[in-house]
Amino acid sequence: MKKYLLTIVLMCAALAASAQIKKPELMVIPSDVWCISNGYYTEIDNLGATTKVPNYKQALQENMGLKLAIAKINDLMAERQFPLQSLEQTIKNLEQRRMEDNLTTSKAGNELAESPLDEVARTAKCDIILELSWDVKKVGPKNSLSYILEARDAYTSKSIGAASGTGAPSISADVDVLLEEAIVSNMDNFNNRLMDHFTEMQTIGREISLDIKVFANNPAGIDLETEFGDDELIDIINNWLQVNTIQGRFSMPYASENVANFTQVRIPVYDERGRAIDANGFAKQLSKYLRKEPYNIPTKVLVKGLGRAVIILGEK
Amino acid sequence: MRKILLSLLVVALSLPMMAGPRQKKADKDTEQFRYEIECAGNASQGNYLVKVWSYSRTASIAENQCRKNAVHGVIFKGYGGGQGCVAQRPLASNPGAETQNEDYFKSFFATGGEFQKYASIVEGTTEVMKVGKEYKVGNVVNVRKDDLRKALEAAGIIRGLSSGF
Repeated sequence: MKKYLLTIVLMCAALAASAQIKKPELMVIPSDVWCISNGYYTEIDNLGATTKVPNYKQALQENMGLKLAIAKINDLMAERQFPLQSLEQTIKNLEQRRMEDNLTTSKAGNELAESPLDEVARTAKCDIILELSWDVKKVGPKNSLSYILEARDAYTSKSIGAASGTGAPSISADVDVLLEEAIVSNMDNFNNRLMDHFTEMQTIGREISLDIKVFANNPAGIDLETEFGDDELIDIINNWLQVNTIQGRFSMPYASENVANFTQVRIPVYDERGRAIDANGFAKQLSKYLRKEPYNIPTKVLVKGLGRAVIILGEK
Repeated sequence: MRKILLSLLVVALSLPMMAGPRQKKADKDTEQFRYEIECAGNASQGNYLVKVWSYSRTASIAENQCRKNAVHGVIFKGYGGGQGCVAQRPLASNPGAETQNEDYFKSFFATGGEFQKYASIVEGTTEVMKVGKEYKVGNVVNVRKDDLRKALEAAGIIRGLSSGF
C-alpha cells in the first residue's frame, strides 16, 4: 500500500514539475500596408464603404521576396527552438478542410453540421502575429531597404516589440539580398524583445482579454445588473477578478447591463494544482464560480485562443 | 665559442621564464576588460563582425587579447549601430551575470580557454596606435554568436527563447 502511495505521490510530483506554460503559436504575415502598396488586396463593400482587405494567398503566390523573407525568419526562429506556423500551409489546410467538408455527406445525404461561429473559428489564427513590411528606396544608382518586423499579441492587439531599420545603400546587391541581410541583422534584436515579453509573462502572468456577454431574453432573466444581496453581478465578477488575477491587475474599459470588457487581465500561468492555464482555463474557473450557489447562472465559455475568452451568461 | 654557447643557453633558459610574467601581464591587462567594441559590418548568418580596440604596453599582447575582448563584448556589452550597421544588445541581458557566474567565466576566459572557439581575427585588419605609454590595437574579429549563445544557454548562464515553455 505504501509503495502505491509513494508511486502516486512521485507521479504527481513529476507531473507538477513537467507542467509548462503553453507555448504561444507565432506566424509571419505581410503587413496590410505592404499588401496594399504592392497590389495584393481585395476590395469589399462594407455597408457602402469600400474597404481594402489583404489577399495573403495572392501575395504568397506572386511575390518571391515574401516567400524568401518568411522562410528566412522561420529558419532563424527554428534555430532558437521556436518554429513558426506557416501562413501558406495554414491557408492550404483551410481550403482543403473546406473542400472535404463540402464533399462529406451521410448515407441519408445530410451535410456536416457547422455553425457560423465554427466557420469563423476555423480561420487562420495564432497567438502572436509577426507583421512584416519592407520598402526599397532608390537614391541614384544605389538601393537601400527599409525593414519593419513587428510582433503583436493577437488577442490584446498590444505591440510586443519591433525591429526596424534601413540598411546600408548598395549598388550591386539586389532586393532579395538586401532583404535577407536586413532580416539576419535585425533578428537578434527582435528576439530580445520577444524574450522580454516571455520573461514578463512568466513573472507577472499572461495578459488576456475577457468579454462577458448576456444572451438576450435568456430564461434565467440574468443581466450584469442583476442583484445578489447588496451587489450587482458586475460587482461580483469584479471582486472575483480582483482576487484571482495577479496583484489584482485588470481594467474594465466598458461595461453595460449586457456587456463587460476586461482588458490587461493578468492571469497566473499555472493553476493551484500546478497545471498550465490560458484564457480559456481562467474563464472556465470564473464560469464555474458563477454556476455554483448562490448565483446558479448558466454560462457558456467560447474558446478564442490562449489570450482571449468570452463568457456568455444566461444559457448554455 | 664557449661564451657564445653559454649566452645562447642563458637566453634559451630565460625565455620561458619571461613568458610567464608576460602572460600574467597580459591577463592583468585584460582582466579589467579595458577595450572598445564597435560594429565592423554585416556578418554572415550566425556571426557578428566587430572591431575591438585593446590596450596594453606591449602591442603584441594587445593584439592577442582582441579575440578575448571581442567575445567578452558580445556577451556583456553589446555594441552600437550606425552607417548600415545594426546595434546589438549583449547576449547576457542580466547585468550581474558576470559576477554571479564568476567561476565559469574565469575558466572560460582563461588563457587557452573556451572563448577561443568562438572568435577569429580577420586577417589584415590590425591597426596599431601609440597612446601615451601604451598601445591601442584594433582588430576586426568574427564572433560566432549563435554557437556562443548556445554554449551559454547550455551552461545555464542565459535563458533560451523557448525556455519556460
